Amino acid sequence: MNIYQPLLTTVTEVIDETSDTRTLRLQFQDEALRKDFSFKAGQFGEYSVFGAGESTFCIASSPTREGYIECSFKAIGKVTTELREVNIGDTVGFRGPYGNWFPVDDWKGKDVVFVAGGIGLAPVRCVIWNVLDRRDEFGDVTIVYGARSVDDLVYKRELEEWGSRSDVKMVTTVDPGGETPDWTGEVGYVTPVVEKTAPKADNAVAVVCGPPVVVKLTLPVLEKLGFSDDAVFTTLENRMKCGLGKCGRCNIGPVYVCKDGPVFTAAQMKALPAEF
Amino acid sequence: MSDRYFISDADLRGLAADLLGAGTEVVAPVATDICQSPSAIAATACTLDHSLVDIDYRSLATADDLDLDRGLPQLSLKGYFLPEHEALCRWKQKGTTTEVIEVPTEFAPRVVLAAKPCDSAALEVVDKVMNWDYKDELWNGRREATTIVNLACPVIDDSCFCTAVGSAPDDVKGADGLLTPVAGGYVYEPATDKGRALAATHKARFDADVAADTVGRQADDERAAARERVAGNLEIDAASVRDWIDTHFEDPLLSQLAIRCNGCGACTSVCPTCHCFDIVDEQEGVGRGTRRRCWDTCQAPTFTLHASGHNPRDDQHVRYRQRINHKFAIYPLKFGEVLCTGCGRCTRVCHAGQDLVEILQAIDIAARRPRDDASGPAADEPAEAAS
Amino acid sequence: MTDVATAPAYTGVEDMRRIARELLEAGDVRVIIGWEHARRGARPVFVSDPADTDKLIFDTRCVHNLVTYLNPRRDAVAELGKIGLVVKGCDVKAVAGLLREAQLTRDDVVLIGVRCGGVLEENELPAALALTPENVAPRCHGCDNREPTLTDHLVGEPQPEPPRPVMTIDERVAALDAQPLEERWAFWTDQFSKCVRCYACRQVCPLCICERCIVEKTQPQWIESSAHPRGNFSWNITRAIHLAGRCVDCGECERFCPVGIPLSLLNRKLQHIVRDRYDYTVSDDPENAAPIGDYRLDDQQEFIK
Repeated sequence: MNIYQPLLTTVTEVIDETSDTRTLRLQFQDEALRKDFSFKAGQFGEYSVFGAGESTFCIASSPTREGYIECSFKAIGKVTTELREVNIGDTVGFRGPYGNWFPVDDWKGKDVVFVAGGIGLAPVRCVIWNVLDRRDEFGDVTIVYGARSVDDLVYKRELEEWGSRSDVKMVTTVDPGGETPDWTGEVGYVTPVVEKTAPKADNAVAVVCGPPVVVKLTLPVLEKLGFSDDAVFTTLENRMKCGLGKCGRCNIGPVYVCKDGPVFTAAQMKALPAEF
Repeated sequence: MSDRYFISDADLRGLAADLLGAGTEVVAPVATDICQSPSAIAATACTLDHSLVDIDYRSLATADDLDLDRGLPQLSLKGYFLPEHEALCRWKQKGTTTEVIEVPTEFAPRVVLAAKPCDSAALEVVDKVMNWDYKDELWNGRREATTIVNLACPVIDDSCFCTAVGSAPDDVKGADGLLTPVAGGYVYEPATDKGRALAATHKARFDADVAADTVGRQADDERAAARERVAGNLEIDAASVRDWIDTHFEDPLLSQLAIRCNGCGACTSVCPTCHCFDIVDEQEGVGRGTRRRCWDTCQAPTFTLHASGHNPRDDQHVRYRQRINHKFAIYPLKFGEVLCTGCGRCTRVCHAGQDLVEILQAIDIAARRPRDDASGPAADEPAEAAS
Repeated sequence: MTDVATAPAYTGVEDMRRIARELLEAGDVRVIIGWEHARRGARPVFVSDPADTDKLIFDTRCVHNLVTYLNPRRDAVAELGKIGLVVKGCDVKAVAGLLREAQLTRDDVVLIGVRCGGVLEENELPAALALTPENVAPRCHGCDNREPTLTDHLVGEPQPEPPRPVMTIDERVAALDAQPLEERWAFWTDQFSKCVRCYACRQVCPLCICERCIVEKTQPQWIESSAHPRGNFSWNITRAIHLAGRCVDCGECERFCPVGIPLSLLNRKLQHIVRDRYDYTVSDDPENAAPIGDYRLDDQQEFIK
């Protein structure tokens, strides 16, 4: 056994979120591991199709849910294209959990605001469920999520579930032109919708994730609303291979995304050199 | 047990023969005619001067192959601990059943003789990242299985700068013992238990009665002279170089110093401390294959390419900056060690004229220039470039 | 090498410096790329200040093909502005290649040609040596472009022919060809097993300009990336074929190879095949279309089955 050797999981569920995004639910083949495996919201793994290679995704399910892990991905490269072809019963390799995590315990008693765009909802979803599964420990929960079009919204079933809860403020939006005739949500880019939603910054933390442009434009809005840079969390990605700090490729200046991240505060992110 | 031994020229070869005879792999510098090849064609086709030799670390076939002329092997010892390509695991699949087959993490004991101190020191430097939280069993297994005996270096040329980065031509960092040439043979000084065990197991080859006032002094003098020679090549304040690079990410000096670079990556392949690797799956038959790691280079255009097409380092000077940054700022900040042992191979192998001595000198001068802001104390006058 | 004389000073250097200075002062170019003397020998230099044109040199150590810096992927070089490039006869054929393939327009670069008499094979020396059959770069023998035409300026007096090397590249190729297939296979297997897949050959080649090299493609993985013999054979042969009819024989790939694979033998062999099959030799005339990028009605076809 060495640190690069993957664990084996079996695909137990396949959900096509959009035309190019898929979620897989995976169960460890080793029974003891099924019970013992634990991780914290924000951590990631190296998922593999034997013969195609490994790819890096966050663990998209919540740590509060035992017995399985999930990942969501867009079929965009060699490995994800193969992952799009796996069926229930097939084997997927897994190495992890790697990286740091959202300090959810530090948020007890605070309001939590989630902002996500497109497939950026995947790493945020795990911490949303982490918070909702411990709902009493937190204050107000606000979720602002947007995608290019109705079809591009991921976790559609969960968006409905969150929207139907009285203890969650759920705001879903699509880009102008992305709405369908029966769309009842917001129409507009994520950033102005966040501004319109105007979550309170006092005693609150925010989690932001999405394509670089969404993160880049949302941070100043949150700042304007009164969120300090230490109260805003994001998760970065970079090309990775080993996932555990040795192959030398994911660093942004002195920061290794796989070890010092992938979760960073806005303050930490702003201190990074322009290399990501 | 002694601190110093004397081993004659003949006994050193005899030691190699003993080890080989006992079935122990012996890795050492081997010199080959620059045109030599098993194939007759290559020998006749070569036009280069046949007195020139290539030196490479190789597994000795016989003790006679051992080259003790103290030239620099082309590639470092890195490949013996992080091979150019290495299986991480194998798999077999049938239907929906997958079996992952482990690869060994224990290795047969072997000995490296006459290693260059810069090459062994590099191993200790890389040990740090290989044990950063997660322990790389493949690297560690090979390190544990290997006894390394350095041969004190006379300094190759003016591209060497080991003393500027915390090493020396007679260093034992990363190694288990040191041989220093003296009349008729070598003084051997073990530095670790493994080094001591080598002398103990091969008692007949080592003479514990070393005349400290002649043979011992001869060894010390030659080593001091070598240290002085190489120190003349480059002197830098590694800490201020580190801090300057860390705070001058966008400085045009780094682009200017990188402008010649072609991104060929030869520097990273000959470097004893460069360890970046790729992980790939190779299908080798129906339902079976190998997951391998192989050497990669931060100088390659696709090193940081995302599947989306975004590339944080999409031009050569930015990739070159990463190399300087990683070696002289990032690694020292994280692990307290410069990711360089001053062997000079990168400068010698670069056919575009990139010169690391020149680059470090330029950064050192920039780092010691008086600061722009009035709040800090004025730094010393920029030093004259080292001759 | 200690008893070989230093090469006589090259006559065109003053003209080269003057032309470079005038181009920079007039703003016709923003940077001159030529050669300078450095600690370990001659090397490329980028001169933007007219006062620095005295750094420019030309001697038998000026082996580098500077056309590699015209690679369209080099943003940092492009940002420096319009380039004035110093070129030997072999180098400038690569400019013609780039023009043929629409990677460059003629106005993009000012070419300062030199009448070259040959260069050293081992060029990283503190002083320029005179050429002898033992030290001359074998590819210089038979040079057909000692009076380059694709230039805006041409300096230097016509030089004597480079000495004939101990063994020419054509003789080495012939020696290989004379061997049976098994011997040739063994030779190349041995050579390619040394390859560490650093891609220095590709990076320095002025005509390896693909935005995404075949070896970087993963869907599918045409060429394995590990440095084992199977992947190495794939890589080296593919690259050679991609250069057939395009390679200008500048020898940089072989010079840069850190493990000494004799790529010049492969390149020269392919040049022979292109010459014999398509009656084509690479020149510095951009109008002379390459076989890969052009067809003629009377092209040989008997090998198409």
